Amino acid sequence: MVPISIPRQPLKLIDRVTAINWNRLEDEKDLEVWDRLTGNFWLPEKVPVSNDIPSWQSLSEEEHTLTMRVFTGLTLLDTIQGTVGAVSLIPDALTPHEEAVYTNISFMESVHAKSYSSIFSTLSNTPEIDAAFDWSEKNEFLQKKAQIVLDYYEGDNPLKRKVASTLLESFLFYSGFYLPMYFSSHAKLTNTADLIRLIIRDEAVHGYYIGYKYQKGLAKVSEAERQDMNDYTYELLNDLYDNEVEYTESLYSGVGLVEDVEKFLRYNANKALMNLGYPALFPADTTDVNPAIIASLSPNADENHDFFSGSGSSYVMGKAVETDDDDWDF
Amino acid sequence: MAVQEDTSLALDRTQTDGETYDPAHDYHALNAMLNLYDTDGKIQFNKDEEAEHQYMHAHVEPHTKQFDSTAARIKFLVDNLYYDQQVFEKYNPEFLDRIYEHADNLGFEFETFLGAFKFYTSYALKSFDGKEYLENFPQRSVAVALELADGDENAAMKYTDEIISGRFQPATPTFLNLGKAQRGEPVSCFLVRIEDNMESISRGVNAALQLSKRGGGVALLLSNLRELGAPIKHIENQSSGVVPVMKLLEDSFSYANQLGARQGAGAVYLSAHHPDIMRFLDTKRENADEKIRIKSLALGVVVPDITFELAKRKEPMALFSPYDVERVYGKPFADISITEHYEEMVKDNRIHKKYIDARDFFMTLAEIQFESGYPYILFEDTVNKANPIDGRITMSNLCSEILQVQEPSSYDENLNYEHVGRDISCNLGSLNIAKAVDGGLADTVETAIRALTSVSDHTNIEAVPSIKRGNDEGHAIGLGQMNLHGFLAREGILYGSDEGLDFTDMYFMTVAFHAYKASHQIAVERGHAFKTFPKSDYAKQPGQGNYFDKYTDGRRSLEPKTEKVQNIFAKYHIAIPSVDDWKELQAQIINDGIYNQNLQAIPPTGSISYINHSTSSILPVPSKIEIRKEGKIGRVYYPAPFMTNDNLDYYEDAYEIGWKKIIDTYAEATQHVDQGLSLTLFFPDTTTTREVNKAQIYAWRKGIKTLYYIRIRQQALEGTEVKDCVSCML
Repeated sequence: MVPISIPRQPLKLIDRVTAINWNRLEDEKDLEVWDRLTGNFWLPEKVPVSNDIPSWQSLSEEEHTLTMRVFTGLTLLDTIQGTVGAVSLIPDALTPHEEAVYTNISFMESVHAKSYSSIFSTLSNTPEIDAAFDWSEKNEFLQKKAQIVLDYYEGDNPLKRKVASTLLESFLFYSGFYLPMYFSSHAKLTNTADLIRLIIRDEAVHGYYIGYKYQKGLAKVSEAERQDMNDYTYELLNDLYDNEVEYTESLYSGVGLVEDVEKFLRYNANKALMNLGYPALFPADTTDVNPAIIASLSPNADENHDFFSGSGSSYVMGKAVETDDDDWDF
Repeated sequence: MAVQEDTSLALDRTQTDGETYDPAHDYHALNAMLNLYDTDGKIQFNKDEEAEHQYMHAHVEPHTKQFDSTAARIKFLVDNLYYDQQVFEKYNPEFLDRIYEHADNLGFEFETFLGAFKFYTSYALKSFDGKEYLENFPQRSVAVALELADGDENAAMKYTDEIISGRFQPATPTFLNLGKAQRGEPVSCFLVRIEDNMESISRGVNAALQLSKRGGGVALLLSNLRELGAPIKHIENQSSGVVPVMKLLEDSFSYANQLGARQGAGAVYLSAHHPDIMRFLDTKRENADEKIRIKSLALGVVVPDITFELAKRKEPMALFSPYDVERVYGKPFADISITEHYEEMVKDNRIHKKYIDARDFFMTLAEIQFESGYPYILFEDTVNKANPIDGRITMSNLCSEILQVQEPSSYDENLNYEHVGRDISCNLGSLNIAKAVDGGLADTVETAIRALTSVSDHTNIEAVPSIKRGNDEGHAIGLGQMNLHGFLAREGILYGSDEGLDFTDMYFMTVAFHAYKASHQIAVERGHAFKTFPKSDYAKQPGQGNYFDKYTDGRRSLEPKTEKVQNIFAKYHIAIPSVDDWKELQAQIINDGIYNQNLQAIPPTGSISYINHSTSSILPVPSKIEIRKEGKIGRVYYPAPFMTNDNLDYYEDAYEIGWKKIIDTYAEATQHVDQGLSLTLFFPDTTTTREVNKAQIYAWRKGIKTLYYIRIRQQALEGTEVKDCVSCML
């Protein structure tokens, strides 16, 4: 769909195969995250996006265009992360269990990419969809952002790959996430927002985990290399931030939300740094995002919804344990 | 600017005023701050007040149409087809002036942002172009009271007082619709049987469409339908079972809505011993095929005692072909008590059977509940043992609190009725326990029973004749309760403590007494009781299975067990009925009957408890600051009633309180409620299916009638949580 360069050489995933034994954990975090990710498994069909059709129709032309553009941008990022990003982390994995977690992350990113398409096809029509994809192919800031990340995925430094990946998961997605959260806090496209919140729930764990693995990896290298990574991270973040600000302006300037989205960018940039174990870059008074957005981000499954509107983003896969005779002692 | 656009969103504001977005004046942003701690770690209750204030002054007031007088207002609304002339012409203009002035002088104010926002978004009358509000809360309440009172000035005043004071809150369909000219029915929910033939299925789909158009949730019974692979016209392997019927129903509900007010919503109930039970449950699986996946239809399973016994004995559980059972017993599957006939049916070779493992069945049930929250559970034998009315209860409704008898209908080939059976419509309304207690309780209960009876009297569902017949003969209503947790916290009592249970027991018994007393009084006034009264347990002689024997034969004490509860009743001057009071009422009822076939049902109270600033139903709060999400209002934050930064200890949430105390509380209330009570169970995501099963076994043993849905709370993985978020903290 988009003219980004895909690595020419097939990635060499791993050198040798050993049977993965989940009973011999080298890092407890792998199992914890694996359980969390599999427990969070979902498919877009779960969410009745079609309930948003009346709401979609009440939005203006301009709001339609903005929404479509935001979602094509997100689709592009998830495509990268699903087919290249998470996969490229596999060869660097420190444990076989870490490899397994990346395969899950990679798969879920593809689920996310497909979700946007399912939102498009439910709410919109082919000309609108094509126009939005066309826009995303021509938007220089979006293309630049894709290219910066892809270059690092193709590079040969495992730690740099993780930094790029964490910044993508914890930072770059959020200029897009802002819009559905803003809509839902104003009672628009609430089922679409449920779906996006499921994606946010996943991305929060992905960014956290990859950042955690980065810190583990960082602990094993020399002091000089650590300093090098530190400089590199802030440099990359600054590059991406500058580009993201321009991207944000190209999207949101027509609707007067630029300033608030930028606060949100800085807020998430700080979160990405936190995931990587670094201090925040932006002072607190430049990250005071609209509380309605912050409060709606919460990845906890704790909202109370009604029957007449949708399925909510709450339920998880259960852990099946058989009852024993004591339980039936009556 | 248009009201609809403005309540929701106007992204093009830069083009009109050139300003950028400023969260400080955004009531949504102020409201969201309720869910974020301040720098001292305190909950910012004042931000929610500011949000309410900002919303009322900056949005509602400028968009409300002003009138010179009540007479001018009513003339405008009637002339322009907003209000129903027939409601208002029954009163003289002086009285209308007086009642509206009285309503205005009661000093009503919304206590929360969500209360105000919900009211103006979902309830208040708006101009047809959506640009102006034509009603505030007191005016809506008066319109409702005037229609309920049907020309009776005293009654209209009483209803107005009860509603505006918050003591009695009619359910959404009543509060939303009455007084308006363009409206749906004031009925909360409908229950319709389906029998095992194509005509009945067609009528079922028709009922789903017709009733969704008029309002209220619709539940349908699927237990009688022949299973997948059952014969049609004696040819084997022809039927496709219950799942395709569920698909038809689900699509019907999505299609129909009440003037866009809310989408249709429905539930289907199936017996645990129906051969399609596993397919029925699998429709809610995350990875179910699109062709069979059920997204928005609610599921309920009807579980008899024998299923628990089989699981206990580790025996396989027989699933019986409804087609064969109906042929052997000459009546529909749902009308047979499976517990009673289990061994007999197992031995009967004419009945096709399938076997599954009973414990596996319960485990699967819990697995599906994890994934989807469904199914509800109806404990069939408990429900029928407790039912005072002649007949059999085979299903419940969308919120699992309606439990009434039905009678099958039969049809000609052209779908005309050959026999009009009885189905169910139910009119609900709830008391705010805290405010009802403040007001002395007895009068509030009587007024509420009369208001609900009035809804039943004015209901005429011609679209489904079996429902019309059920209502005409039974006048069934459902008086509910809400704000139990709020009240207990205000009085310094922990939910589920000995004192909490004691209060629940005494309160519900006192409410029941006044409810029966009022219904008896109405029967005396009207000169007749509900139609099947002579065959009910209410008509039996004392000591011979009369419904009230439990209060009069000395099997239990009718006094509070704790001093604290004794003091509460004394403090608010509420008399707890004594054995003699019950004996007197029992004798009067045996003599004159009661007007309403069913009186009480405890609904989950979503929207109305927000307007009323109550905790939902008799459940604990889901969170200190609740996140509410709905199609029309988006994501909004709601503080528990009476909560301050100093009494947070009394607001343990439902997940912290745990399922046992919730079930214990419901068990106390259940003894005094003739129908059901919506009981949601709450679990952390670390729980297992086994824990869910244990809760179900416990509930069944405690005499709970139905279980509503299961809610799972997932806490963010450490390190990924949003900082300073109130609802995120344990």
